Amino acid sequence: MNAFEYVRPDDVAGAVTMVSRDPHASYLAGGTTLLDLVLKDGVVELGRVVDITRLPLRGISRGDDTLRVGALTTMEELAADPTVTERLPFVREALLLGASPQLRNMATVGGNILQRTRCRYFRDPTVAACNKRAPGSGCAAVTGVARMHAILGARAACIALHASDLCVPLVALDAVVHIQGVGGKRSVPLTEFYVLPGDRPDIENVLQHGELITEVEVPLLPVNARSGYLKVRDRASYEFALTSAAAALLIEDGTIARARLALGGVGTIPRRAREAEELLNGAPAVNQTFRAAAEVALRDPFTVSGTAFKVELAKRTIVRILQTVSGVQS
Amino acid sequence: MDIVSTLRVNRTERPFTADTRTTLLDALREQLDLTGTKKGCDQGACGACTVLLDGKRVLSCLSLAAQCEGREVTTIEGLARDGKLHPVQAAFIRHDGFQCGYCTPGQIMSAVALLKEGRAGSDEEIREFMSGNLCRCGAYPNIVAAIREVARLGSESQ
Amino acid sequence: MTVVTANKLLGDPVDRVDGPLKVTGAAPYPSDVTYPGLVHAVLVQSTIAAGTIRSIDAADAEAAPGVLAVITHENAPALAEGPMTPLLGPAPPSPLKDNRILHHGQHVAIVVAETLEQATAAARLVRIDYEETAPVLGIDNPEAAVLRNPWGLETQRGDAAAALASAEVVYDETFAIAAGTNNPLGLFATVARWEGDRLIVHESTQWPTMARQTLATVFNVPENDVQVLVPYLGGGFGAGLRTWPHAILTALAARLVDRPVKLVLTRPQMFTSVGHRAETTQRLRLGATRAGRLVAIDHVGTSTLGAEAANMEFISIETGAAYACPNVATHDRQVRLNIPSPGWMRGPGSEGNFAIESALDELSYTLGIDPLELRLRNYAEVHPQSGLPWSSKALRECYRVGAERFGWTRRTPEIGSMREGNWLVGYGMAGVTFGGAQLPCQVRVSIRRDGSAHVRSAATDIGTGTYTVATQLAAELLGLDIGQVRVEIGDSDLAPAPPSGGSSLATSLGGAIRDAAGNLLRAFLNVLAEDHRSPLQGRRRDDVTAADGRIHLVDDPSVGETYSDILARHELDELAADGEINPQADGAGMAPSGPFAARFAEVRIDAELGLLRVARIVSAVDAGRILNEKLARSQIIGATVMGIGMTMLEETIFDPGSGRIANATFGDYLIPVNADVPDLDVVFVGEPDRFSPIGSKGLGEVGIVGVSAAIANAVYHATGRRIRSLPITIDQLL
Repeated sequence: MNAFEYVRPDDVAGAVTMVSRDPHASYLAGGTTLLDLVLKDGVVELGRVVDITRLPLRGISRGDDTLRVGALTTMEELAADPTVTERLPFVREALLLGASPQLRNMATVGGNILQRTRCRYFRDPTVAACNKRAPGSGCAAVTGVARMHAILGARAACIALHASDLCVPLVALDAVVHIQGVGGKRSVPLTEFYVLPGDRPDIENVLQHGELITEVEVPLLPVNARSGYLKVRDRASYEFALTSAAAALLIEDGTIARARLALGGVGTIPRRAREAEELLNGAPAVNQTFRAAAEVALRDPFTVSGTAFKVELAKRTIVRILQTVSGVQS
Repeated sequence: MDIVSTLRVNRTERPFTADTRTTLLDALREQLDLTGTKKGCDQGACGACTVLLDGKRVLSCLSLAAQCEGREVTTIEGLARDGKLHPVQAAFIRHDGFQCGYCTPGQIMSAVALLKEGRAGSDEEIREFMSGNLCRCGAYPNIVAAIREVARLGSESQ
Repeated sequence: MTVVTANKLLGDPVDRVDGPLKVTGAAPYPSDVTYPGLVHAVLVQSTIAAGTIRSIDAADAEAAPGVLAVITHENAPALAEGPMTPLLGPAPPSPLKDNRILHHGQHVAIVVAETLEQATAAARLVRIDYEETAPVLGIDNPEAAVLRNPWGLETQRGDAAAALASAEVVYDETFAIAAGTNNPLGLFATVARWEGDRLIVHESTQWPTMARQTLATVFNVPENDVQVLVPYLGGGFGAGLRTWPHAILTALAARLVDRPVKLVLTRPQMFTSVGHRAETTQRLRLGATRAGRLVAIDHVGTSTLGAEAANMEFISIETGAAYACPNVATHDRQVRLNIPSPGWMRGPGSEGNFAIESALDELSYTLGIDPLELRLRNYAEVHPQSGLPWSSKALRECYRVGAERFGWTRRTPEIGSMREGNWLVGYGMAGVTFGGAQLPCQVRVSIRRDGSAHVRSAATDIGTGTYTVATQLAAELLGLDIGQVRVEIGDSDLAPAPPSGGSSLATSLGGAIRDAAGNLLRAFLNVLAEDHRSPLQGRRRDDVTAADGRIHLVDDPSVGETYSDILARHELDELAADGEINPQADGAGMAPSGPFAARFAEVRIDAELGLLRVARIVSAVDAGRILNEKLARSQIIGATVMGIGMTMLEETIFDPGSGRIANATFGDYLIPVNADVPDLDVVFVGEPDRFSPIGSKGLGEVGIVGVSAAIANAVYHATGRRIRSLPITIDQLL
């Protein structure tokens, strides 16, 4: 927590230039991840904090079949949007089940996508072994106390969880991230935005240093689709998910015409369950189908003793949300 | 690195000099002598430091003071007007919505915002939308009762 | 509002007198204190659990901006050890004694700088080279030293072994309860200032009198030269019973830099620095007849302990008192580990209740007897160990009234037989016998010429309501309005008081106030002894009473005069009297009772997802006289919430290899939030206690006891899963 410079640029291009040129600079938006890591846990050292909260990247606009959400839109603002309520109800549910009202008034959509893992081994610099913090140092969590950790996409090098609720329906929806860098703008589907830990758990996404998320484009669900988000946790509120699932279904005559399914609380990244969707598409909306989809979605988990229970819990979470959304009794 | 800045706190301009690293919470408590806002975890996990920023409830422990320049900050000290308690403050006393009192400023700021957000429609709703404020003394049922009463009185008076 | 004098059970539900200060943010907690020139301290803590410090490199920290001092064992002066503490035993070892590391998170340095940000940054620059040895961790670690019967408090009556061997029904199970952390919302803080050789400390403590004695001993100064101030404390729950090393370090830092120093612990440091509820295991064996009569109890309780620390975790303290069982043996064990020192956390002994009350529930299914009926069949009419009559006991009424309010008769006994929608419904109950003490306490009460009274004692209000009940008692006993009484506490310069802890303070302070009020009336009569102008001249204490700000004859209220008139005529500004209680150790031929309670819980379980939610809890409590019904209800509600946390959420987890606490934040160590807590029903029953001078029994802790067993028993009733370990989490219910 060395002293840092605080700057508040006036425009997006200026902010991007400022951070791109300085390897010790970082954007500051809602602050709910960054300030925690810099000031409290001492995990991140910065030379310069570039406050982007007053840049014109806030607000929601509706197109024909997408919603364009400025990256600095807060979680509460997005949850209050009438289109979200009407056409993306599971996005609203995921938003309101995340964090607390205070944090949702601060945390931005762009920041939510970029939130860092809650793994306490990552967040405590006195723990030597953390490949995410210090590449090549090992992983203390894998032999330590793991409960709020990933079982999909995880490996011995890193089991850190991506704890976002919002991103679960967003990956299910094929949301697209718009990015601005010094070299120009580009767009990346959220499903391709994150990088699995592999050998470099410190690399979490495709952003280059200095690139800024400016907007998230969210396709709307068909008018006749039904959706839901289920979050399972020990505490009734204000806790990250042990497991969660976002599902959107288009059901015609008892058959699933189109399914979207994604998982939270289990992945090193927000987890789109494509194979499960393929199984669901065209299948009858019955419990047998749901269970089969759950089995597929949780194939080949990587568990440690503290996370082993999450495999079955995640399957049941999937079954339950599919039941709820489809109206099928358990 | 020091910054010289001005916060608008409780309808008053308050100039201050602080470190760029100073949070809004520490600026209020250590620089501006507004110690009503409490530090319970300093990590965004307890709600004791809740203040209103431009009318919305936020956590002052995860805000830099520098970020808040020119914005309107309301703390527990700014709630009572002309020596008269805010209805939420009075209801907290009537319903014994606190014991040690440490989380209370944050609870009250949060409750004031919750009422404005229109989220006091049922006990269940109050409980959910007050869950960002921990109370280790366990005054939750009394906090709900206090908010319920203010919500009811408010809707009756309209 | 007369309660004590009229011998009523329930005192007026007066609003908290400190309410206006607390709801406006104006109540000054230790961390709110500042002084001109105040500087900030930040701790550096060990990152290993066992070993020694080879070297410390503080050069970068010392050179960092604003830094005034980096104090380590290499440059700290030797400090004396703290004194033996009544109730609690030896003080925690003084800090920075040597280079040995006994637990992860041990304070190894304190950094002082002009600002908090500078001190925080500099603390991260202190580099320490450790020689690490393998720490002793884990309650079942065979290499750990075990203390047997460490406090000499084991119960032995009859022949439990023989009775077990011949019992018709034998129960034998083990229980495990995770370590818990007190976690008051208020971060513990110390603001220390030296004025020459006089030390003034604003300290997060539940016991100013003991904090003063400890600091005086450690710094080798007269007690009168130490003042400990804590008018308000952001909760304690036992964490503030000790004067912990961080407080001593802050006072040391203030002396060395010759400036007022403020230290506020971080939330992670609250897990390592101020005690925690020990992890415990229990083996419980019961012998019973088929008719449900207990014939034997053998109870082994094991708790964790710091490497060189002392603690009393009374797991089985109530086992011998709870039921009329002729043969009882309890066994206390402590296991020494490289962990931060455990200490008291609200309701030590509640662990044993979890085992006993779970076991009785199991027995009720084995025998086919209603759980409530089983408890009544073993009701202890007199104290089962001493055979003496209880000073008060309304547990039977607790059962009756609690069951009625809860609707216990609606319970269908078969497992899984009650449902609501997709949720399984379970009913469970537990009985509670708990301890409570009266402790020596002193107070000074005065009346001023304006007719106002002033109550002064070194007691504290940690949220329990001391200010309010002391105000009510003084007003009642002196015949004043509540608004005429000012209570000043939280200052060690005032009359010595026991801790706000052990469910003891309200009764102890209340008894002292009663004594002082009587003495004060005597003092007024003494003033009037030669005063022929007074209608009260020559009267004795028994002749008079007080009401409406005046002393008058009991027999003829028209004969009397006001305090103000008396003081004015005698040109006195005020008249003061001291009061005290010194409880009789022998109990005056009675078994001094603590509180009793019956807890009834309804839970909802989503069996597919393993979700457990408490739907409602009814608590029927016998705590003797209730001084203020509103605040008493809050005490029970609050402790019940903490019991919900202990039962369903809370677990302080030590990393098995490093001894580091793996979840030392409020994001990872979960305490209940508002959404976890349903409306909680509380009812008080019984009568004023005969051993207590004001009829009250402690109720600060009883509210947590029995919650775990009632919920676990309800979980069994709903699901058929008997869970003997806490917390009960989703993975156990899948």
